[in-house]
Amino acid sequence: MNRLRALVRKEFSQIRRDKRLAVSLIVPPTLQILLFGFALDATVSNLRLGVIDWSHTPESRELISEFTESKSFRLGSYYTSVSELEQAIGRGKLDAGIVVPYEFAREIRRGRPVDVQILLNAVNANTATIAQGYSEGLILSYNRNLAANGIRPAVRTVGAAPPGQRGVVSNLTAFLYNPGLVNAWFIVTGTFGVLLILNSSLVAATAMVKEREQGTVEQLLMTPASTTEIVVAKITPLFVLLLVMVVMAVAVMRVGFSVPVRGSILLVVLGAALCVLCGIGLGTFIATFTKSAQQSQLTAFFVNPPLATLSGAMTPVEAMPAWMQPVTWLNPIRHFGIITRAVLLKGSGMDVLWPNFLVLVGFAVVLVSLSIWRFRKQLG
Amino acid sequence: MRRIFSQARKELIQLVRDPLALALALLLPLILLLLLSTAISLTVHNLPLVIQDLDDSSASRRLADAYRASLSFHVVTWPPDRQPEKALMANAARGVLIVPRNFGHDLARGANPQVQLLVDATDSNTARITQGYANQVTQSFNMSSGAMAGAALVGAQVRLWYNPGRNSPKFYSPGIFVMGLSMFPALLAALAMAKEGEQKTILQVYVSSISAHEFLLGKILAFMVIAACEWLLGMLTLVVVFGQHIAGDPTPFIVGSVLYAFCVSSFGTWVGAGIPSQAAAIQVVALAGFLLVFLLSGLIFPVENIPPGLRWLSNVVWGRYYIEIVRDALLQGGGWPAMWFSVFMIGVLGSIFYTLAWVSMRRMQVKA
Repeated sequence: MNRLRALVRKEFSQIRRDKRLAVSLIVPPTLQILLFGFALDATVSNLRLGVIDWSHTPESRELISEFTESKSFRLGSYYTSVSELEQAIGRGKLDAGIVVPYEFAREIRRGRPVDVQILLNAVNANTATIAQGYSEGLILSYNRNLAANGIRPAVRTVGAAPPGQRGVVSNLTAFLYNPGLVNAWFIVTGTFGVLLILNSSLVAATAMVKEREQGTVEQLLMTPASTTEIVVAKITPLFVLLLVMVVMAVAVMRVGFSVPVRGSILLVVLGAALCVLCGIGLGTFIATFTKSAQQSQLTAFFVNPPLATLSGAMTPVEAMPAWMQPVTWLNPIRHFGIITRAVLLKGSGMDVLWPNFLVLVGFAVVLVSLSIWRFRKQLG
Repeated sequence: MRRIFSQARKELIQLVRDPLALALALLLPLILLLLLSTAISLTVHNLPLVIQDLDDSSASRRLADAYRASLSFHVVTWPPDRQPEKALMANAARGVLIVPRNFGHDLARGANPQVQLLVDATDSNTARITQGYANQVTQSFNMSSGAMAGAALVGAQVRLWYNPGRNSPKFYSPGIFVMGLSMFPALLAALAMAKEGEQKTILQVYVSSISAHEFLLGKILAFMVIAACEWLLGMLTLVVVFGQHIAGDPTPFIVGSVLYAFCVSSFGTWVGAGIPSQAAAIQVVALAGFLLVFLLSGLIFPVENIPPGLRWLSNVVWGRYYIEIVRDALLQGGGWPAMWFSVFMIGVLGSIFYTLAWVSMRRMQVKA
C-alpha cells in the first residue's frame, strides 16, 4: 500500500508539471460538446417550397398560405410548368414542390374530392419522412377548415360505411421529457459518452507510450512494485483529471444547453467514472500494441469511429439494420448514453438502470485487467 | 517535370513500405464507408410501442391491430397494473398508446374519440417521426372503418423524388465517402511532411537542386495518387454495395474529384509544413478532417440548422462542396448548371492551401 501511494504521488507530480496535458484534457472536450450541440441539429424546418398554382382561386391560395405560413415550409417561388419545378428541385434550389390542379376550386365547391400533388426531394431520407408528415398534417388541417366552413363532401365515394361507424379517431400526442423537442438535448447527452471514452483512451495511450518511448519502463520495473501497482498508479491521476472533465462537461450541458437534471446527478457521475475507466483500459490496451505516440494515435483511427457510431449517441439505434442493433450492446458508450439520458431527462433511478451499470462495471473490470495482463506480458 | 515525378515516386515507395500507413490509406476508408453508411440513419422503424387498452372493446382491439400490423411499430407487452409511463422510463418503449374507456361506445355513437399517444421525446427527431407514423396508422384505421370516406375533400399525393425508397445509405454513403477522402490522404500528406521537418531531412531537400514548387507538387501528386486509389475503391463500393450509379453528366464530378484530391493533399502538406511534429499534425488533421467535415458540411444534419454564428464557417469547409458534388452526381444529376460554383470553390480553396503550404515551407527553411 505504501509502495502504491508513493507511485501514485510520483505520477501526480509528473502530471502536475505537464500543464499541456491538463489543458488538453479540459478545453477540447468542453468546446466539442458546445460545437456538437450547436452544429448537429436534425430539426426539419423552413423547407423551400416551389408552388405551381393552376387553379388561381381563393381556395388554392388559402391552401398554399396554409403551407407557407407554417414553420415547416417557406415560399421559394412560383412556377408555371412542372418541368421548371423539376429543374429547380434538381438543382437544389427547392426542397419541395406543390402542384394545385386546374379544377381544384371547382371540385371543392361541388363537394368532390380532389388531390394536390406534393413533390419532395427525398435525397435526404430523414427530411423527406418528416416533410411528408408535415404536409399530410397541413392538408388535414385545411380539410378541417373546410369542414368548419360548412363545405362537406356531397357524395360518398367509397363504399358505404357500416352504419354507426362515422366517428373519426385522432391522436392526442404528448411529448414527454422534452416537450420543446430540443434536438441539442439528445446530441449533447450522447456526445458526452463519446468524448469521455475517446479522450480518456487517448490520454491513457499517450501516458503509457511516453514511458516506453523514453525507456523509463525498465526503471519502473526495477522498483519492488508489481505491474498491477504500476498500472494502477498510472491510472489514478488520469482518472482524477478526467473526473474534472466530467464535471466541466456536465456544467456545459447545464449552462450552455439548459439540459435539465431530473434524476440524481451522482448516478451520472458514477456512470461517467466507469466510462472513464473503460476508456483508460482501452487506451492502455492500444498502447501496449504500439511503439510510438503517433502509432497509437493512428491505431485509434481504427477503433474510435466504430465505437462512436455504433453507440446510438448521435443517431438512434432503432434506425440501424436489425443485425447491427444487438452489436451496440457491446459498446460502453451505448450503456452510458442510456444512463445519462434516463437520469438527466427522464429522472430514472437505479431501479431501472442497474443492468446498464452492471454492464459498465463489467466492461471496466475486463478492460483494465486486460490491459494489465498485456502490459505484464509485453515486459516479460 | 521529371523532378516532380521522381519526388512523387519516392513518396509512394516510402508509403508502400509502411504497412500501417498503407492500411490507413486504403483499408480504413473502405471499412468506414461500409460501417458508417450502414449504421448512420435517422429514419427509425419498428419502434417499440406499448398499448394500454382501457376500453377492451372490439373497436379498440381493431385499433391496436392496426398498430400491430404496421411496419413502423412493434407492440411490446406491458403489465396492465404498471404505469405505462414507466415503460418509457425503463427504455422498454418509445411510445405509449392509451385507448380511453368508452372508446368503442364513442365511435359507435359517431362521436370523435381521441386516443392519447405518449412519446419519449429525449430524441426529438425520433419523436417527430413517431408522431408522424402514429398519425398515419390512425388515419388508415379511420379509412378502413369508413369514417374518412366522407371527411377528406383534399387529398395529398406525395411523390418522393431521387430516392423514392427513402434509402438512408444512399444519402449518407456519399458523405462518408467524402469524409474518408478528406481525412486519409491529408493525414498521410501531413505525416510525410512533418516527418521531413522532425527528422531534419528537409535540409537535404534544400541543398538539392529541386525547387520548392517542384518538391511540393511532387509530394502533392503522390498523395493525389493515393486519393485516386481511394476514390476508385470507394466508388466501387458505392456502386456494388450501395447500388449507386452516376446520374447525368459526369464531367463536373470528375473535374471536382481531381481538384478535391489536390485540395486535400495540399491541406495535409500545409499542416505538415506548418507543424513539424507528427503527433500534433495528426491531431490537427483529425480535428479539421473529422470535426469540420463531419459537423459543418451537411453530412448527417442539414447545414441550414447550424446557428448563423457558426454557419459561415461551413462556407470554407472544403468537404461541404465536394459532398454537394458527389450527391448531385450520384442522386440528382444536376450537372454543370447546378455544380459549377462548388467545383470553382474547391479549386479556390485548393490553391489557397497550396499557397499556404508554399509559404510555410519557406518558413521551415528559415527555421531549419
